[in-house]
Amino acid sequence: MTLYHFGNCLALVYAPYHMAYKYSGISEYATFSKCVYAGGLYIFTQLCKMLLLATFFPDSDSSHITGEYNVVLELLKATVDLADLVGLYFALNSVPGKGHAKIFTAAIGWASAEVVVTRSVLLWVGARGSEFDWRYVRACAESNVALLEHAATAALVWLWTRSDLPRKHSPMVVTLLALTPYRALMEEAVGAVLHLSAWALLAVRAIHAFAVGLTALAMYAVLAQQIGI
Amino acid sequence: MWLDEADGFAEIFKGYLPYYLLVALPIFIIMSPVNPVAASHEFSVYRMQQYDLHTVPHGCRSASFNLEGRSLTSWSTSRHCVVARIQDITIEQFLEIRSKAGALLLVLPQNSTLLTPEEKEHIQLLEMAMTQQELNAPVYFAKWTPEFEDILRDLQHSFITDDRSGTALEAMMNTVSSNGYQIVVSASAPQKLDSKPVTLHGKLVGRSGSGQTIVIVAHYDSSGLVPELSLGADSNASGAVAVLELARVFSRLYGAAATRAAPDLLFVLTSAGHHLNYFAAKKWLEEQLDSTDASLLQDVSFVMCLDSLASSPSMTMHVSKPPKPEGAAHSFKSRLGVPINHKKINLADELLAWQHERFSIRRMTAFTLSSLQSHKSPGRSTVLDVWSEQSARLAADNIAAIARALASHIYNLTDEINHEDRQMYDEVLSVDEASVKHWFNYLSSQPRAAQIITTTAPNAGVTGALERALSRYMDVTVSVHAVDKREPEYTLYSPTSAVLYVYSVKPAVFDLILTLAIVAYLTVVYFAIQVFPRFYDEYAKIFTGKAKVQ
Repeated sequence: MTLYHFGNCLALVYAPYHMAYKYSGISEYATFSKCVYAGGLYIFTQLCKMLLLATFFPDSDSSHITGEYNVVLELLKATVDLADLVGLYFALNSVPGKGHAKIFTAAIGWASAEVVVTRSVLLWVGARGSEFDWRYVRACAESNVALLEHAATAALVWLWTRSDLPRKHSPMVVTLLALTPYRALMEEAVGAVLHLSAWALLAVRAIHAFAVGLTALAMYAVLAQQIGI
Repeated sequence: MWLDEADGFAEIFKGYLPYYLLVALPIFIIMSPVNPVAASHEFSVYRMQQYDLHTVPHGCRSASFNLEGRSLTSWSTSRHCVVARIQDITIEQFLEIRSKAGALLLVLPQNSTLLTPEEKEHIQLLEMAMTQQELNAPVYFAKWTPEFEDILRDLQHSFITDDRSGTALEAMMNTVSSNGYQIVVSASAPQKLDSKPVTLHGKLVGRSGSGQTIVIVAHYDSSGLVPELSLGADSNASGAVAVLELARVFSRLYGAAATRAAPDLLFVLTSAGHHLNYFAAKKWLEEQLDSTDASLLQDVSFVMCLDSLASSPSMTMHVSKPPKPEGAAHSFKSRLGVPINHKKINLADELLAWQHERFSIRRMTAFTLSSLQSHKSPGRSTVLDVWSEQSARLAADNIAAIARALASHIYNLTDEINHEDRQMYDEVLSVDEASVKHWFNYLSSQPRAAQIITTTAPNAGVTGALERALSRYMDVTVSVHAVDKREPEYTLYSPTSAVLYVYSVKPAVFDLILTLAIVAYLTVVYFAIQVFPRFYDEYAKIFTGKAKVQ
């Protein structure tokens, strides 16, 4: 619509990230460069994934036209997203400090890079045009949910790397981690089965992210109490 | 490693970047394209005609606009473009729109053959009302599409009103939920077209060589409210087809010396028809009569103009002077067996009634054959005048009747011919129905408004096709006429069509409401982050059983 609308969208995207960085306490560690590093790792990981997808998977555009939905192919493609976990692992490793600082730094860096890479052009081109579409506001809200998702995933990865993780928790962590790449697919499947609108789907994503986040937080709390941080 | 030094680097970024952004962002915005996104809807629209007749302006005088779309009931100011179906708008509403609205966009019926007679009559009356006076607001017509139906529905049910909402909250909810449309047509300003009307004529020479001449004339252009959509099947594709078919039939008879009749037959096709006052016919007559070797129209028996032959099976002979009982026209009339409609020429009128009046003014015996009862019939210039199977058949029947009557007149046959002769004539004079339908179909699929056919080259388009068709039967002369430079008899204007963009937009208040919502949301997020440590303590207690040791 207008530049003002673009400003609205930008505020919706940027402010939560800024607040998360500012008030989570990680800014005290002067870890801005670590965030940038995590972002760089995100981009590198995406490039690797793209290479894999381009090399081993058939042209996705043609299946798009025919309208067929190949479940196995989509599952295989989602499996490539396991590389994200590897990327997050390296990001976590590179950040010094306590557990929560590691997790937040990696998650914020990772999610910010994702927003910059995937959303900025869309917003610049779309939200500033004369045409109004709820899609852009929704995309901004989605990036907030994505921050939550990435924080949960980073927490899970961190938990998995700990050798002192309580034994009874480890199957839970591994299961959740293994399911991470298929989250988007599951959400879409739920949306398709229940015929949800785009906003309802966003709500589903948010609830899902909250659930995973709270589970990870509970396990983190137990471990943190055990090792005394 | 650079990453270790980057903390200082990051400080620089944090400290100065916002100020750089303050400068860079506006520059970036100014440099980037004005309208980076394409509209979600693009339509071809056709502009209402615009022309001057003897410097009297007619039609719509402007072309481009950028206004908010509104329905017939919700528009209020000249900042609105009224969007409506052509069936829905009443003449009173149109008169109000003409004086106050910013623009008008009319959607044509989905299928004009399914309209009821009342709806057709209504549309024709509306068209007449629209042509009566000039309009300053741009008026466009669009063909029906499903997308247009959606937009029309949205506009009709939209609640964007200026001051009619009940409470403030209600108004706020309305601005969030409703869709607005910004309608944009960016066309060039109306410009004078270089109009060169054309007259085609060809002659079949009779037996005597210097006998009388029968002139058969039709104008082949159409006149309608919308040049690009005036297909003019009845008026006057049917007349042009009749001239072609008569030329075909009589060229066969005149091909052999034995069957050649006495009078010469002159076939004429003119452009610039009735809404331009038969300008081409006038110019052509001037050229033929006032030149030094005026042999072509020296001894005219009668001039037969053919106009609108496809709307009913019965024809009427329109004359400006009743034919003399012993004259050729009367003989032809009695052979054809049609009623006469006598209407005197009124030179004070802006337009002549029928084409034969052009010839009557030059003291020739002339009449128009038409299946219309009156020259005021709205069917002569409507967008609903399109091809149909039935009209093609009517045209073929009427052409056959004319061919038979004409043959009967020029061979001076009486009714007492025997059965064998009758059969022979039937065979010779039979109208090729397939060819009639083919030509009728072709002509009524081409927009033939003066704005289009008089601005293309004479050997291209419809004119070229007619010339080639006629030259299969006789030698055709193409005369190109010019409009007077200083005192133009008429002036035509472009553009006739444009591209319409429809943007869905929200009212300006919506952005403010959105800002409020975002601020509220961010406040919630802020407090959520603030209370997170306390929440974490409580949450951890549930799982670990004791308070966190700090």
